[in-house]
Amino acid sequence: MGKFFRTIFLVDLFQGLWVTFRNQNPKYIYTEQYPAERPEVAERYRGAPRLNINPDNGETLCIACNLCALACPETLIVVGSERNEQTRRKELTTFTYDLSRCMFCGLCEDACPVDALELTQDFELASYTRDGAIWDRQMLEEGPKPTQYKC
Amino acid sequence: MADEPKPEGGAAEPGKPAAETPKAAPPKPAAAAAGGHTPPKPPAPMASTPWEGEIPGQLKERFGDQIRECAAYLGQNFLAAKPDAVIPILEFLKLEADFDYLVDITAVDYPKRAERFDLIYILYSFARNERLRLKTMIADGAQPPTAVNVHVGANWLEREVFDMFGIQFAGHPDMRRILMPEEWEGFPLRKEMSIIQQDDRWVKENLGIESGQ
Amino acid sequence: MPDATFLDTTELVLNMGPQHPSTHGVLRVILKLDGEKVMGTECVIGYLHRGVEKIGENRTYQQFAPYVDRMDYVAAVSNGLGYCLAVEKLLNIEAPARAQVTRIILTELNRIASHLLWLGTHALDIGAITPVFYCFREREEVLKIFENYCGARLTTHAFRIGGLQYELYDGFEEQVKAFCDMFLPKVDEYEELLTNNRIWVARLKGVGILSGDECKEFGVTGPVLRAAGVKWDLRRAQPYSGYEQYDFEIPTGENGDTYDRYMVRMQEMRQSVRIIRQAVDKIPTGPIGKTPKVIKPATGEVYVSIEAPKGELGYFVVSDNSTQPYRVRVRPPSFVNLQALDRMVRGGLVADVVAIIGTLDIVLGEVDR
Ligand code: SF4
Ligand code: SF4
Repeated sequence: MGKFFRTIFLVDLFQGLWVTFRNQNPKYIYTEQYPAERPEVAERYRGAPRLNINPDNGETLCIACNLCALACPETLIVVGSERNEQTRRKELTTFTYDLSRCMFCGLCEDACPVDALELTQDFELASYTRDGAIWDRQMLEEGPKPTQYKC
Repeated sequence: MADEPKPEGGAAEPGKPAAETPKAAPPKPAAAAAGGHTPPKPPAPMASTPWEGEIPGQLKERFGDQIRECAAYLGQNFLAAKPDAVIPILEFLKLEADFDYLVDITAVDYPKRAERFDLIYILYSFARNERLRLKTMIADGAQPPTAVNVHVGANWLEREVFDMFGIQFAGHPDMRRILMPEEWEGFPLRKEMSIIQQDDRWVKENLGIESGQ
Repeated sequence: MPDATFLDTTELVLNMGPQHPSTHGVLRVILKLDGEKVMGTECVIGYLHRGVEKIGENRTYQQFAPYVDRMDYVAAVSNGLGYCLAVEKLLNIEAPARAQVTRIILTELNRIASHLLWLGTHALDIGAITPVFYCFREREEVLKIFENYCGARLTTHAFRIGGLQYELYDGFEEQVKAFCDMFLPKVDEYEELLTNNRIWVARLKGVGILSGDECKEFGVTGPVLRAAGVKWDLRRAQPYSGYEQYDFEIPTGENGDTYDRYMVRMQEMRQSVRIIRQAVDKIPTGPIGKTPKVIKPATGEVYVSIEAPKGELGYFVVSDNSTQPYRVRVRPPSFVNLQALDRMVRGGLVADVVAIIGTLDIVLGEVDR
């Protein structure tokens, strides 16, 4: 009998629909409207690399110790340095970072003794050419400049 | 099939033990690190301790000098045996000592050693909650007998060992490559294969491009 | 075998995959069919082979850690834990207590994430489309915790040999607790959708039976083994990383069919929440451990295995007293479990193959390594 009424009044159907409607609560929306809305990534996000510069004098923090290059499993970092005869210190000349092979594991960042190399929150790394994925020192210091879309 | 020409085709295990007895002197197989990419160092302090108990006792009684060593390293028991004894030992362990779960079969390549490969069987016993490693040394080209008749699960594991090291298992029902393409030449986990070495010919024939390396 | 009829019947060979939506990756199964009935199968794998073990021989111990994440990429944290434990064992060190508890929380969260992905895709294979959206929604919360903790969502590289790299962030406990509170009712909701669903039951009950003895024969572990009634979980049998301090149950099934495996995994998610709740309440203070500067274990070899979401994940590491492993062997649960596929589908219907591949919960990245 109960079964009969359940069928007549479509109880099962409404039960099912209730589940559907319950899940239409806007707080369950996870889809990000990406170019229009930029997602917030975590503070520790390991994205595009950056070579930090000292904000006071604009010089690079990197001491050209080569530790990041040694730490990297993919050996994709090449540090070029030159010995400065006056200060008798190594100075950074070039720094190449091949993003196309990077797996953003963070080992280079951990290895850096002066926090010069850092993986930042920038995540837009696409480029039109393969060469575009190889970043030089200037690019690393300035960071990527992704196009921002407005809707 | 991409078999490497074997020095001596199917010749056999009977020949093996003879070749091996003089070698039995250095008892710790892993200590023979001479095959590594480092020059032989003074052996590091080995925490390997003899393993005594019910199972080694039974095994020694049963298999006598076929068992080379029963030891434990960092609390993990292992057993070194001669290649011929492996299958009987596996059988014995399965039927009489409850080691009914074959966890893994793998090999290690020591190119500088006369018996080039360490073949390793990892076993587990549900009833005892114990793990055990059975090791044996085999030469390049030797054909150890398959364990499929004892543990069905050995099938793919042995195929993988063959694929990676080129160790043919005698009596295996389906000795083919499993992970690498059939036409691939060489055995990737042998030490002479370098990591950047590619099969250029294969790339060219199958993908129609020049290999980037 | 088919009865002789006046119609001549021949065996039909059907290729399933490598690009088939329900093979969860690039698995190719060659099916030999007699009508709807599966007479035999052959799996062709290796499409995703990247030579992880070979890479391991050419990297230092520390450098190899990010690569293991890429084997079972839906449970990267478990892979990392297994590897770190293996090297720690080889070095004969142990991570500090704080690191261990954190590891357990993250690994259990990862187990939930892995099971959620399994549930969603498995249900999708069978024809229930809704669960996949719900599962991904909840999985997103787990991935957010990972992202906050270590900065990556999927291939996390969360643990380091000897401990952790990252200190817990502010609000970690609250976020994890909030997730647990949110998640348990959701599991009930999935069950509401599926457990008594007539189609679901009809498609799963009695399909792909693998008995406990067969599991042991093939070396099948994880939820598949437990669904066959074998109460065996490495977290209990050989506890690692402090699992012995937690109170949890090992769910088991009875029949070893696809439905039981489903139930076991659902229960496992609840048990994971239980473990996480206990762990979050007692995160000790103290150091989180530091990677030794030079990792150069003494000559020797160890095999360490953990209970990954898919079964026993083992690492066999051989050291020759240098900074690089002499050999790393990964014992992948998916690879070994997949071997039992033939036994499970033989004699069944071709439509059930999809259900059985789904229920084995394989990840081809791990099968092929
Ligand atoms: S993130 Fe990892 S792979 Fe990328 S450069 Fe740094 S160490 Fe190398
Ligand atoms: S580790 Fe840091 S300081 Fe050293 S070379 Fe790399 S970026 Fe420069």
